[in-house]
Amino acid sequence: MHKNNKPILLKNIRVIDASQNLDQEMNITVKNGIISYFENSKKNIPFNEKDFRSVNCKDKILSSGIFDLRVYLNETNNENVSILKNAAVKSGVLKMGILPFQKPLLDNPVMIEHLIEKTNFNNDKFFYPYGGATKELKGNEIAELGLMAEVGAIGFTDAPNCIQDSLVMRRVMSYAKMLEKPILQNPEDRSLAGLTASNSTTIQGEMNEGEVSTRLGLVGIPSCAEVMIVERDLRLAELTGVHYHVSNVSTKETVEVIKRAKLNGIKITCDTSPPYFSLNELELSTYDTSFKLSPPLRNEEDRIAIQNAIFDDTIDVITSDHKPMSNDTKILPFTSASTGASGIETLLPLTLNLLNKSDVSIMNILKKITLNPSKLLKVEISKIKSNEKANFIIFDPNEQYLINKDLLQTSPTPFHGRPVQGKNYMSMMNGEIVFDNLDLL
Amino acid sequence: MNKIHKINKKPPPIAILNSKNLLSIEGMNKLEINSLLDRADYFADLDPLKIIKTLNGYVILNVFFENSTRTRVSFELAGRRLGAEVINISVDKSSIKKGESLLDTANTLSAMKPNLLIVRHPESGAPKLFSDYLNCSIVNAGDGRHEHPTQALLDALTIRRRLGRIEGLKIAICGDILNSRVARSNIHLLTTLGVEVRCIAPPTLMPKSLENLGVNCFNSLKDGINNVNAIMLLRLQNERMSGTESPSKREYYRFYGLDEEKLRMAHHDAVIMHPGPMNRGVEIASSLADNEDRSLIKTQVEIGVAIRMATIEAVYNAQK
Repeated sequence: MHKNNKPILLKNIRVIDASQNLDQEMNITVKNGIISYFENSKKNIPFNEKDFRSVNCKDKILSSGIFDLRVYLNETNNENVSILKNAAVKSGVLKMGILPFQKPLLDNPVMIEHLIEKTNFNNDKFFYPYGGATKELKGNEIAELGLMAEVGAIGFTDAPNCIQDSLVMRRVMSYAKMLEKPILQNPEDRSLAGLTASNSTTIQGEMNEGEVSTRLGLVGIPSCAEVMIVERDLRLAELTGVHYHVSNVSTKETVEVIKRAKLNGIKITCDTSPPYFSLNELELSTYDTSFKLSPPLRNEEDRIAIQNAIFDDTIDVITSDHKPMSNDTKILPFTSASTGASGIETLLPLTLNLLNKSDVSIMNILKKITLNPSKLLKVEISKIKSNEKANFIIFDPNEQYLINKDLLQTSPTPFHGRPVQGKNYMSMMNGEIVFDNLDLL
Repeated sequence: MNKIHKINKKPPPIAILNSKNLLSIEGMNKLEINSLLDRADYFADLDPLKIIKTLNGYVILNVFFENSTRTRVSFELAGRRLGAEVINISVDKSSIKKGESLLDTANTLSAMKPNLLIVRHPESGAPKLFSDYLNCSIVNAGDGRHEHPTQALLDALTIRRRLGRIEGLKIAICGDILNSRVARSNIHLLTTLGVEVRCIAPPTLMPKSLENLGVNCFNSLKDGINNVNAIMLLRLQNERMSGTESPSKREYYRFYGLDEEKLRMAHHDAVIMHPGPMNRGVEIASSLADNEDRSLIKTQVEIGVAIRMATIEAVYNAQK
């Protein structure tokens, strides 16, 4: 992994660490994995540069690594742990919450323990598993939440399923409250999100309900199917006092309800992912299955509402919602095609793209992929200061390029061919270099 | 016997298509649609024995992933009348059952080098997928809830031959619009040709934002068919009639079934159409279905062959 054993000198680098409210141009050295020198760049460097691997990092940013709140580890779909790790460190993601939806499911303590052991990386924790909220994520019986918490589950969710039954939800919430863990919900009222077919079975909705679904003849999911569940859950959250987290907010109405709940002091947080502030339902006009996502892409009004909710801090976290699917499951008619897309490799640039949409500070945007997820899950991340172990990424926030699906390690992406800005050049984890492209800067 | 209105006196040229595929009416312009109608109008009156078989050696695969008799036979006859070789493949999930993916099935068929694939599939957008990956032409013979382009074309020609024009007419489409590909194709075609289109359905079978497609929407049949020149009825599937989308057959018939009394609201010589197969006593009174002064249901089937001939020929021409 080491380019050479020389200590590194990063000159004129802009250090942003939201946990210390720090945004300053600095000179930094990293020796034996420890940040040893950490001073304002205006100060003269008190040592000989030649002893260092010295890199001028003018206009580049050093920040904590990305904490990706929700990632599917989908080993059945051509993606295994090592591909995910490589793709993650290259893209600046150094910690991630792993959702229980995989084979086998993470709905029991044995699987949680196994995943943590298997994925221990660089003597640091890289994967933080959630436990399933209900057995087999079916929404009927409470899973062993206590035992899973004991072995390291950081929260509970049935994602991508939504817990439909109010009583089950209440029970899960009161248990999670006792264990002081958050409960994450992917809100979608299932009965409303489909269509009755023969013998009273339902066909699951395929896209947002509206003019586009009418034109394409696809089964629509009304946007109120999302907010209805959030509204119900908020009542239960008030009743139980749990930390309730809404995953993948995608509609204007949900944003409004969450904003109101926050004003009323309910313990609620929420996240969204790049498709919902970057794309709208019109992308589906050609039946392109890489845009088949859950929740579905909504209309332009919703997209703008999501974007604004990020800027006004109604939305706390931006996550990749990484759900890799093999291309074989996507080259199918829309109805049969799988739901989901990769996201971990495009999270940083798509998030940085938001800077073009508002005068919001870069620290505020970075917070949503670093500090906020760690606070939400109560996972400590190390600060960027002298005598701390090096745990950071270095990226160029201005580099412009087009996302190319052939250069990504995970598939499919709904963002192929889209212009973005921002590229990661180095990742250091627990003092080790895990990705290094600094020489290309 | 009703007079047949002919717009063209001399044989019209082969229809023009801007693409080598016919996937949807949405996106087609007036010129393309009218050229297909004109050419089919000419074929409709031709003695099948006198048609010059210009498509000798042209291979058409009828690939039907969903059961169909009339559409399949109609396409088959159309192809044969032009001299093409037509092979019917009822995929009916046979290879799909063996685990082969749809695209593999398509590629296997494509390797046999057909010139044209006529595809019917239960999923919206499936013919588009075929066209993205295969070299031969694709004609959509009905995909899910999306479109059924040749049905809309034959409906339009049937009306034109009977009423002498299309532009400026008022036409009602009534029934399960939510699930109907026939309705979607007809809406696009009729609005493109300058028809005032009215869609009539119970609220549970009316798709969202339908008015954005340029039509007026009605929940009441009587209001909707007021003074219309033609009424297109849609099939309501049996499973939708028992408390899901509609409370019962008899309630549906009471409010949306067309009978002599309701028909009085329409224009005095309004015609009735149905893409078949129809449910007598649900969508339409049996006596009305058999009333040859009003019902064009049989004519629709007849015109279907001519429309498919014009389509196959136009696709063949566009490939050149």
